[in-house]
Amino acid sequence: MKLLDRYNSLSLLTTILVIVVTGVIYYFSISYILTGQVDKDLEVEENEIFEYVKLNHALPQVFKSDDLIIHFTPIGGHGVTRRFSDCRFFDAHERDEESGRTLTSSVMVGQQLYRIEITESKVETEDLIRMIFFITLGIVFVLLTVLLLINRLVMRRLWQPFYRILKAIKLFNLADRNGIDPVNSHIDEFRDLNLEVTAMSQRVLQDYRSLKAFVENAAHELMTPLAVINSKLDTLMQVGEMNDKQGLLISEVYHTVGKLKKLNRSMLMLSRIENKLIAEREEIDLCQFIQDMVNEFQELLADRGIVISEGLKPCRIKINRDLLMIILNNLMGNAIQHNCKQGKIVIQLDQQGFSFCNTGAPVPLNEKQILQRFYKSPESEGSGLGLTLIKEICDSYGFSFRYAFRNNMHCFDISGI
Amino acid sequence: MHKIYTELMMSFETIVKILVIEDEPGLRDSIRDYFAESGNICETASEYETALQKINVYRYDCILLDITLPNGSGLDILEALKANHHPDGVLIISAKNSLDDRLRGLDLGADDYLTKPFHLSELKARVMAIVRRKSFNGNREIIFREITIDLLAKQVNVFGVSIKLTKKEYALLLYFVANKGKVISKNAIAEHLWGDEIDISDNFDFIYSHIKNLRKKLIEAGSGDYIQSTYGMGYKFRDH
Repeated sequence: MKLLDRYNSLSLLTTILVIVVTGVIYYFSISYILTGQVDKDLEVEENEIFEYVKLNHALPQVFKSDDLIIHFTPIGGHGVTRRFSDCRFFDAHERDEESGRTLTSSVMVGQQLYRIEITESKVETEDLIRMIFFITLGIVFVLLTVLLLINRLVMRRLWQPFYRILKAIKLFNLADRNGIDPVNSHIDEFRDLNLEVTAMSQRVLQDYRSLKAFVENAAHELMTPLAVINSKLDTLMQVGEMNDKQGLLISEVYHTVGKLKKLNRSMLMLSRIENKLIAEREEIDLCQFIQDMVNEFQELLADRGIVISEGLKPCRIKINRDLLMIILNNLMGNAIQHNCKQGKIVIQLDQQGFSFCNTGAPVPLNEKQILQRFYKSPESEGSGLGLTLIKEICDSYGFSFRYAFRNNMHCFDISGI
Repeated sequence: MHKIYTELMMSFETIVKILVIEDEPGLRDSIRDYFAESGNICETASEYETALQKINVYRYDCILLDITLPNGSGLDILEALKANHHPDGVLIISAKNSLDDRLRGLDLGADDYLTKPFHLSELKARVMAIVRRKSFNGNREIIFREITIDLLAKQVNVFGVSIKLTKKEYALLLYFVANKGKVISKNAIAEHLWGDEIDISDNFDFIYSHIKNLRKKLIEAGSGDYIQSTYGMGYKFRDH
């Protein structure tokens, strides 16, 4: 639920509650005041009757009126208590019952005690109350609507800086090397938030950069000792008089150094891609490129009895040549390495993308797992960075890289090229 | 006439004068030993000043240049070399495989770029290629005894009779000849033929079939049996 909606619903609920309560109070106080007014009129009538009786010693002539009825009833014994009461009033003109107000009193004319009942219609008073009520209701309604609308508009405008900051945070990507841009706002809270977020993004970037630099430097520094080991092994191999056991040992060390070298290179390459250090691109005929690569691997494929089938449509792509090479070599290398004897590799290419499918283990791989850094299957001899490299390169170009298990084949799809 | 020319070529191929500018003593010595063994002249410089002095006074067939040096950059040495119009071939060896460095180096006129760590056999093959390209007569043939490799036509003749090699076998032969008399590891061969980005393992047994085929083709054409396996580590192209 949005803050604005939450706030609105709360304030709306409170407003309605307050209006209902005040409305009730309002109604009762107005009707109390107006009833008091009617009672005063009745008292005036009563006084007039008393005046008349005092002067003339007779009951006054009663004229029929639409909204005032006076009744004299002779009563015996003692008088009635003077009181005001609500009653029904029959409007002869309108021919229907209305509410009215009666003053019951008594007057002595000669020796006869009369009860006086002065009844006045309250219909006008009620009309007035109704009118006041509706007008008030209308005003409240209009006010509420206007307030809500203004809230909505003003709040939305006021929150703009917040949404901009939020968007910037969402778009924030460490690898982009751009911090979060400051958003201008006159509101203190947003300015503080923005200031902190901007500062935080800079700090994070700084940390990330130094971490990256460390990884890159470490990998670089490792290259020289590796080069020395490698060259010493090369030199050692030139020494004659060796037995097969020694030869095998050297071979194994050599092989391991080779793996270390590849691992190191992959790490360097990864950090270079993540740091967007590889900018230059050229237009490449992907169809031709894939064919050339397949030719490179021809002997290797033949050696393992792997049959390759291609469905290549013409496609040109703007990409860095070295990175494309890494993608294709890794995909092809995997397809060969994780294949079975007499297996199959299917390469498809069209305008949208390309895919490498190979036979191999009969169970699907876990997509999440295989894209993890340094993940490798137990029988793999690779660095565990091959697919990560491909993923990073694809990400940096905005391609999508997915794994799927189709027709008993492991497929790696690159789309959106 | 043809024979004298051939012998000239051979002597030119075998004796090469190179300068190694590298601050890491272990690597410098290995390179020197590897090159010097086959009768080449190999001088070394470990830092910027010495290197600059040497390149101003002497000429080399090829200079192996490390970019990161104490008190200076290898790229400055390269610039100095080119500013003086010295014709020496330059091969940059650097731990940085940063494309920028490579491009800058090649833009400045380096002939090739090799990323550390590398195989000495690969280094030798690259150096020999540079030397061949730089040689005044545009050396287009490599002659090893009865084997003649035509670099332009990518054609191999044994006793003047052409033999048909696949692309990989041709590259393999060239690699062997550049490193004749040296044991080349299987890794080095695999990386030379397929590049080093791929993770193809299986102990490189797959290169065995290439070598077997190449050897068979050469012997069938009447050449000597030069390729031999060495203690399971690698292969050697005998030069005697």
